[in-house]
Amino acid sequence: MKSFLYLLMGGWLLCSPMLSHASLIQEKKCSECHRLSKDGNEKSGPDLFYAGNKFQASWLKQYLQNPAIIRSARGTGDPDFLKGIQVNSQKHPALSKKDAGQITQELMAITLLNLPEEVDRLEPLTKGQKAKTKYQFERTFSCISCHQSLNLAGKVRGGISGPSLVNAGNRLQARWIANWLKSPNTFSNKSRMPVYKMDDEARLQLTQFIMTLKNENKR
Amino acid sequence: MTKSSPTFILNYCIFLIAVGITGCSEKSAEETRPPLKAESHSPASLEEATPKPVVVTEKTRETYQWYCAQCHGIQGKGDGINARFLTVPPRNHTKAKYLETRTDEQFFEAIKFGGLSVGRAPCMPAWGNTLSDSTIHELVLYIRELCQCEAL
Repeated sequence: MKSFLYLLMGGWLLCSPMLSHASLIQEKKCSECHRLSKDGNEKSGPDLFYAGNKFQASWLKQYLQNPAIIRSARGTGDPDFLKGIQVNSQKHPALSKKDAGQITQELMAITLLNLPEEVDRLEPLTKGQKAKTKYQFERTFSCISCHQSLNLAGKVRGGISGPSLVNAGNRLQARWIANWLKSPNTFSNKSRMPVYKMDDEARLQLTQFIMTLKNENKR
Repeated sequence: MTKSSPTFILNYCIFLIAVGITGCSEKSAEETRPPLKAESHSPASLEEATPKPVVVTEKTRETYQWYCAQCHGIQGKGDGINARFLTVPPRNHTKAKYLETRTDEQFFEAIKFGGLSVGRAPCMPAWGNTLSDSTIHELVLYIRELCQCEAL
């Protein structure tokens, strides 16, 4: 009887944090389109098992109420990816302000532990560094072939097979970008993006450059 | 006069030969430069990969679909989903006209070190940290299959 009680207690202790965190995510059936753990095959929507590392909470909350297209060529896990059928309307459901707030809280709690913190001590790019990094973004690393960004005139330029980076500075955490560039395998078993071996300085400057891309700079 | 004319002819011949040699060496240096460059980047891996028989497998086609098709298209016609957004259009791998003027080494280097490394467009990234040398050799062979062509 006593051991049964312990078992019950243990089960409750184990489950309670999961239940209280994942409730609205479960209720809204996010896992139908998004992976909430690294197991299993890629789904049509982006992975969320590191959402708390990747997104900025303010952006998430806003996006969930008023979703915008980030991958106009569909997600890489979508069977129609590569077929050239562009997304014209956003399929992601829009949530109420209250629900968006709660899901944002739940998503921000889903994190991978032990991501290096290196980015927090970064200083803003100088004008020269920004020009150099922009050049690298377009020519050295060819990012622009698959990702949309803003040119000097504030116009959207670039390929669509990867997620748009036009609003990356509001959407992503700098630390996540730096970690993704260093070891994409932490987040994805097999991405369609090339693996880069750039030195830390180039990687952190590229991260900073991507963080300067914001919707409000679009003209 | 009669004495100097053979020397003159001889001198002229030497001059012609010299010009011929430098002309050729310039040309041949240009032709062999890309493979030399590839070797200098990774001499060991290239030597290791070359003797193995390279064949196009189902996995090679999958690799092409996974990475290359984003720009070069599902059938390799240069019409991938990124194609119309690029400043330089991606190569059409089904057209022999240009591809038969390129060597396999130039293909290999373009894939491994990116378009700029062979003097082509910077839109093509370097895949050397993503794909193994043997996979790249297979992709080179697959492109030859797509274009139905050989290096001239």
